[in-house]
Amino acid sequence: MITIEAVSKRFAGPKGEPVDALTPVDLTIPAGQFLSIVGPSGCGKSTLLRIIAGLETPSDGKLTIAATGVARPIGFVFQEPVLLPWLSTLANIRFPLDTGGVPRAEADATAHRLIKMVGLQGFEDALPHQLSGGMRQRAAIARALSYDPPILLMDEPFGALDLLTRDRMNDELLQIWRATKKTIVFVTHSVEEAAYLSDRVVVMSARPGRVRAIHDVDLPHPRGEATKLDPRFHQFMATFRRELK
Amino acid sequence: MSDAVAVPSAPRRVPPIVDHLAGIVAIVIAWQVYVTATDAPAYMLPAPGAVGGALADLAISGALWRDLGFTFGNVVFGLVLGALAGFALGFVLAKSPTLERWLDGPILLLQTAPKIALAPLFVIWFGFGTTSKIVLIVSLVLFPVLVATIVGLRGVPQNALELARILKLTTWQRLMRVELPMALPEIFIGLRIGAVQAVVGAILGEWMSGKLGLGHLMTFASATYKTPLLFAAVLLTVALGIAVHVSLEAAERCLLRWKQ
Repeated sequence: MITIEAVSKRFAGPKGEPVDALTPVDLTIPAGQFLSIVGPSGCGKSTLLRIIAGLETPSDGKLTIAATGVARPIGFVFQEPVLLPWLSTLANIRFPLDTGGVPRAEADATAHRLIKMVGLQGFEDALPHQLSGGMRQRAAIARALSYDPPILLMDEPFGALDLLTRDRMNDELLQIWRATKKTIVFVTHSVEEAAYLSDRVVVMSARPGRVRAIHDVDLPHPRGEATKLDPRFHQFMATFRRELK
Repeated sequence: MSDAVAVPSAPRRVPPIVDHLAGIVAIVIAWQVYVTATDAPAYMLPAPGAVGGALADLAISGALWRDLGFTFGNVVFGLVLGALAGFALGFVLAKSPTLERWLDGPILLLQTAPKIALAPLFVIWFGFGTTSKIVLIVSLVLFPVLVATIVGLRGVPQNALELARILKLTTWQRLMRVELPMALPEIFIGLRIGAVQAVVGAILGEWMSGKLGLGHLMTFASATYKTPLLFAAVLLTVALGIAVHVSLEAAERCLLRWKQ
């Protein structure tokens, strides 16, 4: 469970004046929930995600991550797949395990299982620059899953992909979520993506960055093509879109 | 990399090495023709055959291996030591802005000071033996590697460092498994400059003092008007330089295979 209490972030502006990147946010994310944060650029959605990840310190407020007994509770998928260019796909996926002291054989077994899960069989030995954008991002997701963190944070992970690849990746992500029961916090600027994937959607707006509304998306699971024909799916999208204006 | 901008060229009939060799053979022939035509005295310009003879004499007497080995050993040892020192210092400076601010002035001063001017001082401080030569080589190798290391480490993408934080890597793991490999292409640029300097430094050190090495062979040959021997020593220096360059290039090709 992730508890965010009155967390805010203030940067120094170009003339040294304080700029509110994020006005105080309160949010509780129960374990196993798929939560999306949707908003225009500059609304602080990435800042909020990076605060949860520990990559930024909040200017104020309190963040609690209840994940007892886990050395590395967080998996992070960046907007660009941050693969190490000298490592093969397999070695990239194994990297967290290698650096975490997991025995070689066990790490290999895990990496091979994940390669299969994200559909990269046959590309185990390929270097990142030999993979397509979608394949690279799948490898990055597999790497984030390799050490089985209870929380997966994703910062517009499919933003750079074409629509077809993106749709397929969304379905794969839902499958992974169903299989692993992880808490997922997913940042996007696409209302469709947010409505399709999530249990709950946080709509944010910019200047100053703030939470505009929070919605429970109670569309039935498992989701698929039928979801996209559901009138309520379109209602959710219309609501988010209206709130983003 | 250079491969990416390769321009399609006409199909070659012969491998490039043949062209290189043809050029060298042409120069040697022109050299022989000139010596024969002008009847140049051997102490001014010896014939190619005389230089070959001097080389053969050196090889037979064993002096070739002794002097070449001495110089080569100093170059390798100084290069390794200078590269390690340059990398370590570069790492510290790249990580500590305060230290860099303090040391920026002194480093600029040392870097721009012609090391050749310091060479006699090294002899006074470290004697006529190997130490002063190594110190000279290290001082020449250190700065290019140091600067390249700083540039390389500064260029490590922010998100790679953030990945290291998410994965809770130790400082050592981050350095060895993320930062060093990321910075390696730049470090190799510094190493290549350093390697050329190392050969220059080794020869220079032997000119000034000592009884061994290709540099000493040169001063001996020139002082005794053994011009064929001088030519032979110069050729050996060239061969040494090429050997160092080629091995460094092989190491780079092997370590940076992922870049191609």
